Amino acid sequence: MSSSPLPSNTSRFGGCTLTGALSVTTSVRDSISIVHGPKGCSHHNFSLLHTIALENDALSIPSVHASGLLEGDIIFGGEAALERALAECASLRPKCIFVLSTCIAETIGDDVGAVCGMDWGVPVIAVPTAGFLGGVFQNGVLNALCALSDGTYPVPSDGTVNIIGEKNLEYEVEENYREVSRLLSALGLHVNLRFIHQISYDEIPVLGRASVNVLRDEDIAPVGDHLKARLDTPYVESFPVGLAGTIRFLELVADACGVSSHPAVQDERAVQEDLRADFSDLAGARIVLPSLGVSAIDRGVVGEVATALDMKITSDGSCVPLPLSPPIGTGGIRRMLHRWRRMIHA
Amino acid sequence: MPECTNPLWPCAMTGAAACLAGFDGITVIIHGSSGCYYYPATLLHAPLRGTFIVEEDVIFGSEQRLLEVVGEVSSSSQRIAVVTTCVPAILGEDIRAILAAHDIIFIDSPGFSGDFEQGYRSALLALKPLIDPGVKGINIDGASLFDPFSRGNILELSRLLANAGVAVATVYSMDTRAKVWQASPFTITTNEDIASGVGTKIGSTLGLDELKTTFEKIVTVVKEAHIDPVIKEIEQEEERINHACDKYLRRFDPPRAAIFSWSSYAVFAAKSLATYLDAEIACVSTRTAPPQAIPYPVQQADGLPQVQALIEAHEPDLVIGSSFERSVITTAAFVGLTPPLRGRVRLTSRPIAGITGTLCFMEEVLNACMDRK
Repeated sequence: MSSSPLPSNTSRFGGCTLTGALSVTTSVRDSISIVHGPKGCSHHNFSLLHTIALENDALSIPSVHASGLLEGDIIFGGEAALERALAECASLRPKCIFVLSTCIAETIGDDVGAVCGMDWGVPVIAVPTAGFLGGVFQNGVLNALCALSDGTYPVPSDGTVNIIGEKNLEYEVEENYREVSRLLSALGLHVNLRFIHQISYDEIPVLGRASVNVLRDEDIAPVGDHLKARLDTPYVESFPVGLAGTIRFLELVADACGVSSHPAVQDERAVQEDLRADFSDLAGARIVLPSLGVSAIDRGVVGEVATALDMKITSDGSCVPLPLSPPIGTGGIRRMLHRWRRMIHA
Repeated sequence: MPECTNPLWPCAMTGAAACLAGFDGITVIIHGSSGCYYYPATLLHAPLRGTFIVEEDVIFGSEQRLLEVVGEVSSSSQRIAVVTTCVPAILGEDIRAILAAHDIIFIDSPGFSGDFEQGYRSALLALKPLIDPGVKGINIDGASLFDPFSRGNILELSRLLANAGVAVATVYSMDTRAKVWQASPFTITTNEDIASGVGTKIGSTLGLDELKTTFEKIVTVVKEAHIDPVIKEIEQEEERINHACDKYLRRFDPPRAAIFSWSSYAVFAAKSLATYLDAEIACVSTRTAPPQAIPYPVQQADGLPQVQALIEAHEPDLVIGSSFERSVITTAAFVGLTPPLRGRVRLTSRPIAGITGTLCFMEEVLNACMDRK
């Protein structure tokens, strides 16, 4: 039924560009994000971001300012409301202000770009959003990341790595980052910038310094291409997924940075052997995948892990849970296997 | 001013959805985009439907899409309610006319039209509740899927009314659909901010004094009611509260409290703290329209910076509020009273209304204050 947001029918359920863009812009700590629309749009998103922050033990509170369009603004135009909001936010002297429009501002035809182009005394960055009229959640993420990179320029690279497009609303966002950091450290590399995850506005200009950009996943490829064109930085298209994928990730990053992957790969193979030993009790277990929401990547990882541990994927075994996104690195697979063991032994 | 930073309260569309989705037998369709749908769907934990309109529906009109979704849902025995969001509300389509061939409750309650309680009231009004003079018992109102205490409030008041030999008539708005039109002529309330206005209001159930007064009035309209067990329980439990608070005051100073909540809950909290703990009520800040004539400094706050400013100005050692308030306090004790209450596991149905409601509230206050010491 297409009035229910079932995973089997996703054409209309992609969420709001505004939420996607805010998941990026509110992660610039010393900025303010103005939502040009009714107050309710700001509350919905602030409440969501606040909840995620609580769940992830984040210390900072996102700053979302509503231009607060009312019925009169919708009839006569909302640009004056946006000007009031910008004046108020500019008076607080943030490092920058992001302006994100909503579907209602788009429908009434407010010229957001013109208002943002006025002199406000602080950088004002208009992020193309427009609620559902601008696409879906992922478009908001991509637009915000591209808008934020537009003020950066090529600088000599220093052998570091950028992390691009982390899923800031993801429950495991920090754990996934730690896993990638662990693998980079094994290669003797360190992170230049988390673009964008809890950084300050002043850090953004160093974006061009890294030798390689590691994208969160394939959905961020347009940003990878944008940065390649703008800063000439190559990219690895995804965080590591799967056992073999983790080894391949080490090799790809090492190649891009001109370092040897051999010692790190040897060490990681040993880590994966330990994993197999730790979960050897699952050998022979019969498992069933969830009936909905399982991607091709999920199936690939599950198949690989099941083979490695001598488990059987059947139609009558224990239904095992999967992370919302494929597990990242060997560490992600370990956490997934703990959840599987709990279900298999339940 | 309508603009504010980090707004703390949901919009009218969410209020309308919260009201309608509380009635078993009504299927709520949010006529708007998936972004507008997801917030009430996750907040209310109710099986809402959506039209999930996309750009082409705005360009070519949303009629076909709306009728498609109505057609899908019509196959069930549920009554359908359609709630509009901002963009469909200004497209100029005559949604009433589009839906004219269907028996549908239509609520024009876009987000820009106001706050949660305005949408809630519009939805309840559209349901056209009816009083049946033949229905025995008392209605309970002020319940909402948005309020984490509502389920506990209903259970508690059902218990107290049963102890008094009084039936529960209709619960607004968490009941079966049929009961919307079978209300008793008399109503007690758990939350004045979203009172139904159905029937003659007998009184509030927030606070033991108010509860006692309300039950003493119930006996005047429900002749067969025997309220002695309830009055006796109120007196016994109030004695327990007095004892616990007196013991607290033997060792500690009364708290200096800042309260942030619905208007009616805020007044309840202020009165309870002042009565039982001789607390200083440094400020009362309401999400909804502030109450008339209460002996505490009171103002309405829309955004988190206002809340932060009040907390910094008054330096309370006890803050009553939502998880928004909890995230900005540093050393003060905290008790959750106001939605949303995120970041904590809540499995039980705790009330705020009734006898157990006051017990739960004061218990949390005392424990939070002692933990802080």
